[in-house]
Amino acid sequence: MSELLFYAMAVIALLGGLGVIFSKSPMGSVLSLLGSFFALAVIYLLAGFHFMAAVQILVYAGAIMVLFLFVIMLLNLGGMGTRFELSAAPLTRARSQIAAAVAAGVGLAGLIAVQRASLPRIAQGGAPERIDDINQIAIALFGRYSLPFQAVSVLLLTTMVAVLVLAKRRTRESGQ
Amino acid sequence: MNVPSEHLFFLSAGLFSLGVLGFLVRRNVIVTLMCVELMLNAANLAFLAASRMHSTPEALDVQGPVFSIFVITVAAAEAAVGLALVIALYRLKQSVESDSASEMKG
Amino acid sequence: MLPPPSHAWLWWIPLLPLIGSALCGALHLATLSARKRDPQAKGLAGLAPLIACAAMAGALALAVKGFLDLRALDAAARVLNSPAWEWITVGDPRQPWFDVDLRLVLDPLSSTLGLVITGVGLLIHIYASGYMKGDAGYAKFFAYLNLFVFAMLMLVLSSSLLGVFVGWEGVGLCSYLLIGFWYEKGWPAEAAQKAFITNRVGDACFLIGSFLLLRLFGTLDMHEIVARMGSDFRLDAIDENVKLNIALAALFLFGGCCGKSAQMPLFTWLPDAMAGPTPVSALIHAATMVTSGIYLVVRLNPLFASSPAVMTLISGVGVATALIGGSTALVQRDIKKVLAYSTVSQLGYMFLGLGTGAFGAAVFHLVTHAFFKALLFLGAGSVIHGMHEEQDMHKMGGLRKHMPQTFATFLAGAAALSGLPLMSGFFSKDEILAHTFNSGGVYYAFWIVGVLTAAMTAYYTWRMVALTFFGPERFDHHHVHPHESPAVMTVPLMVLAVLSVLGGVLGLPPVFHAAHALNDWLAPVVAPGVAILNQLHPHEHLSHATEWVLLGLGAAVALAFAHTGFRTYAAGPEPDLAIGRGAPGVAAFLGDAWSIDSAYSRVVILPLRVFAFVVRFIVDQVVIDGLVNGAGSLAKNLALRARGMASGQLDAYALWMGGGAAVISLWWMWS
Repeated sequence: MSELLFYAMAVIALLGGLGVIFSKSPMGSVLSLLGSFFALAVIYLLAGFHFMAAVQILVYAGAIMVLFLFVIMLLNLGGMGTRFELSAAPLTRARSQIAAAVAAGVGLAGLIAVQRASLPRIAQGGAPERIDDINQIAIALFGRYSLPFQAVSVLLLTTMVAVLVLAKRRTRESGQ
Repeated sequence: MNVPSEHLFFLSAGLFSLGVLGFLVRRNVIVTLMCVELMLNAANLAFLAASRMHSTPEALDVQGPVFSIFVITVAAAEAAVGLALVIALYRLKQSVESDSASEMKG
Repeated sequence: MLPPPSHAWLWWIPLLPLIGSALCGALHLATLSARKRDPQAKGLAGLAPLIACAAMAGALALAVKGFLDLRALDAAARVLNSPAWEWITVGDPRQPWFDVDLRLVLDPLSSTLGLVITGVGLLIHIYASGYMKGDAGYAKFFAYLNLFVFAMLMLVLSSSLLGVFVGWEGVGLCSYLLIGFWYEKGWPAEAAQKAFITNRVGDACFLIGSFLLLRLFGTLDMHEIVARMGSDFRLDAIDENVKLNIALAALFLFGGCCGKSAQMPLFTWLPDAMAGPTPVSALIHAATMVTSGIYLVVRLNPLFASSPAVMTLISGVGVATALIGGSTALVQRDIKKVLAYSTVSQLGYMFLGLGTGAFGAAVFHLVTHAFFKALLFLGAGSVIHGMHEEQDMHKMGGLRKHMPQTFATFLAGAAALSGLPLMSGFFSKDEILAHTFNSGGVYYAFWIVGVLTAAMTAYYTWRMVALTFFGPERFDHHHVHPHESPAVMTVPLMVLAVLSVLGGVLGLPPVFHAAHALNDWLAPVVAPGVAILNQLHPHEHLSHATEWVLLGLGAAVALAFAHTGFRTYAAGPEPDLAIGRGAPGVAAFLGDAWSIDSAYSRVVILPLRVFAFVVRFIVDQVVIDGLVNGAGSLAKNLALRARGMASGQLDAYALWMGGGAAVISLWWMWS
C-alpha cells in the first residue's frame, strides 16, 4: 500500500517538475512546484522523516512559495500572455536541444552513480519507522554541527540585509 | 514502506535533471529560480534517502535531516535574494527576462 | 710551515699606486666640467702626475726597503710575509675545505720584479708627465697608469693564484683602457678590444690551470704548492695519473701565459696594442705586463719542470714566436710596430730560456729587456713627439742632429737590444742561447733558430736606427720641425740608457769568473724546479771553451748583422722598396706577421661572424622572435575567438556551466 503511494507521489513530483518547466505562465509554474513539493512531503513521511515532511510543508510550501507568489503578484506577471512573456524571443531549437542533452547527461550521471554504487540493502526488518528523531537532530545541530549552524545563521542575517538593500528603491530614483 | 533506496535516488536524479532542464530553457528569471528550488529539493531527497539507507532501528542516522535543514535554510536565503534581484531587474529593465540583462557582453 | 713574522707594510707597495689612482681619477672627474667649458683648461689636472709619481716613488722606496731587508736575511730564509686577509673560506672555518687567504709575499723573485715594475714604472710616469701634456685626459691617464701598476704589483706579490688572477685580470683591464685611451680615433678602441678578447682566451686557460692545481693540491697558494714539490719530492715516486694532471695544469697555465705574454698563437694583439700612447707601450707592452707569463712560469717552476713535454713545448713556442716576431720586424715601416714585434720576439727568447730550465736566465733577460725596451719605446715616443705624431720611419731620417739626447740614448737601447758585446742584452740573450745549446736534442734546432733570430734582431734594430736618425731628412720641412723633447722626458731616457748598458753586470757568464748576481739571488726560488730537472737528466755545465765559442759567435753575429742592417739602410729606405718590388709575396707575408692575423680572420673570425649572422637573423629574428610574437598573437587570436563566449546572456553562461558539470560528472562515473 505505502509502496504504491510512494510511486504515485513520485509520479506527481516529476509531473510537477515538468509543469514548472512547461507552464506558459509563472503562476502555473508556481502551482506545479507547489504540487511537487507536497508530493515530496508525502514521500518524506512515507520514508520515515516526519519532521522533515513538516519542515517541507512549512518552509517551502508555506514561506518560499508564498514569496514567489508575492513577487509575481507584485510585478503583475500572473496572467497568461503578459506582454513580457510573449515578447521574449523564442528559444532556438538548437539551444533547447543542447539544454535537453545537458539535463539528460546530468540525470544519466546520477543514474549511473546510483547503479554503480551497489547500495547496501536495507535490513530485513525494513527501515526504522521514524528516522529524524528531533532530539537527535537537535543534539547534532547544536553539537557536532554547531559551526555550520552558526554560519547559516550569519548567512540568513546577511541575506536579510542584502534583500533590503536590493529591493529598496534608491532615494535618488524615488526623488524623480 | 519497502522501497529500495535506488528508487529514491532515481527520483532525486530525475527531479534534478528536470531542474537543470528548466534552468537552461526558461528565460523568465522567476521560473529559473523555481527550477533552482527544484534542484535543491532533489538534493534534499538524496540526503534523506542516504540517511534512510544507513539507519537501523538501533542506530539512527540523522546527518541527512541535518543537512536537509541546512539546504532548506540556504534555499530560503537564495530565494529571498533571487527575488530581490528580480525586483531590481524589473525596476531597471521593465522585464524579468534574463535576455534583457546582457550588458556584460564581452 | 710558513715563517710567522708578518710585514704589514708590504701592503703599502700595491696600495700606494691604488691610492694614487683613486686620487687621479677623482681629479679627472672633478675637472670634467671645467674641461667641458674650456678644453685647454689645466686647472687641478696638472697635479695628477705629481700624485702619480709620488705614489710610484713611495712604492719604489718600499720595494727597495724590501730588497734590502731580504738581502739582510740568510739566502734560504729570504721570504717576507704580509698578514693574510681571509678572503674566501668555504666550510667549517676551523677546517675549511676551500680557503683563500690574500697574502703578499716578498721573496727574491717578487722583489726583483717589484723593483723593475716600480723603478721602470716611475721613470715612465715621469716621462709621461711630459709626453701627455696637453691631452684632454691627462689626469685620467695617470689614474689608469697607477691602477695598472697596482694590478701588476698584486700579480707579482700575491701568494695565491686567485690573487694573481686578480692582478692578471687587472693588468688586462688597464691594458684595455690604455690601448683604447684615444678611443675617439676609432682604431685604438678596436685594438683595445682585440687585446682584451685575445687575452681572455689566455685567461680562460689560466683559470682551468688553477682549477686543476686546486684539485691536485687542495690549495691555490703558490708558495705552498712549490713547497710541496720541494726537496723531498721525487718525480719517479708519483703516480702516472698525477703526473698527467700536473702536465695538464702546466699546459693550461702556459696557455694563460701565451695570452698575457703574447706568444704563439695569441701574440697578434700586441702589435695592435701600439695604438695606445707610447708610455703605455713602454710600461705595459714592453716592460711589465707582458712579462707576467714569465713570472708565473718561474714562480711555479717545479710544476713546469716536472713535465718535460710541456717544457719542450714552451721552448718550441718561444722560439717560433721569436722567429716570427723577429722576421716581421724586419720589414715594418712604423717605428712602434718594429718595437712591438721585437718585443714579441724577445718574449719568445724568454720562453725559450724557461723551456730549457734556465729560469734565472729568463728573469735576467726579462730585467734587461725591461730596461732597453722601455728605453727604446720612450725614445721612439720622443721621436714621434718631436715629429708631430709621425710614426712612419720612411718619413724620418737625419734626426740625430735635431734630437741629440734622444739619439744618444736610443743608440744605447739599440745596442743592448741587438746584443752588441758587453751590453746588457748581450749577456742575457747569450745565457739563454747557451742553456739551449746545452740542453741537446731538439734544442739544437731551437738554438739554431735562436741564433738566426738574434741575427734578425741586430739587423732590424740597426735598420730602425739608420732610418730614423741617419740618412737624408725625408720629412716635409714646412710642416714638421723636429725638436728635442723636454728634460722631463729625456732624463728618464738617460737613466734607462745607463741601466741598459750596465744591466749586464747582474748576470755575468761563468767564464768571467764573477758571481752571477741574479742567479744567486733567485737560487732559493728556482731550486725546486732545478732539483726536479736534475732528477730527470743531470746537466753537466758547459765547458769554458764551448762557452767562449758561443759568446764569440753571439758577438760576431750581432756585430755583423748590426753592421749590415745599418749599412743597408743608412742611405734611406730604398732597400725596403726594392724588396717590395723584387719579392712582393715575401714582403707582404712578413709585413703581415706571417699572415697569422688574416688566417685568424678566415679560420676564427669569419666562421664566428657567419655564426653570429645565423644566430641573429635566423635563430633570433625568425625562431625566437617568432616564438615570442607567436605566443602573443596566439593568445590574442584565441582571446578574439573566446570573446564570443562571454555573450552577457545568463542562460548561455548557465548552459556552459551545466554542460561542464554534466561532462565532468559523466566522465567521473565512467572512469
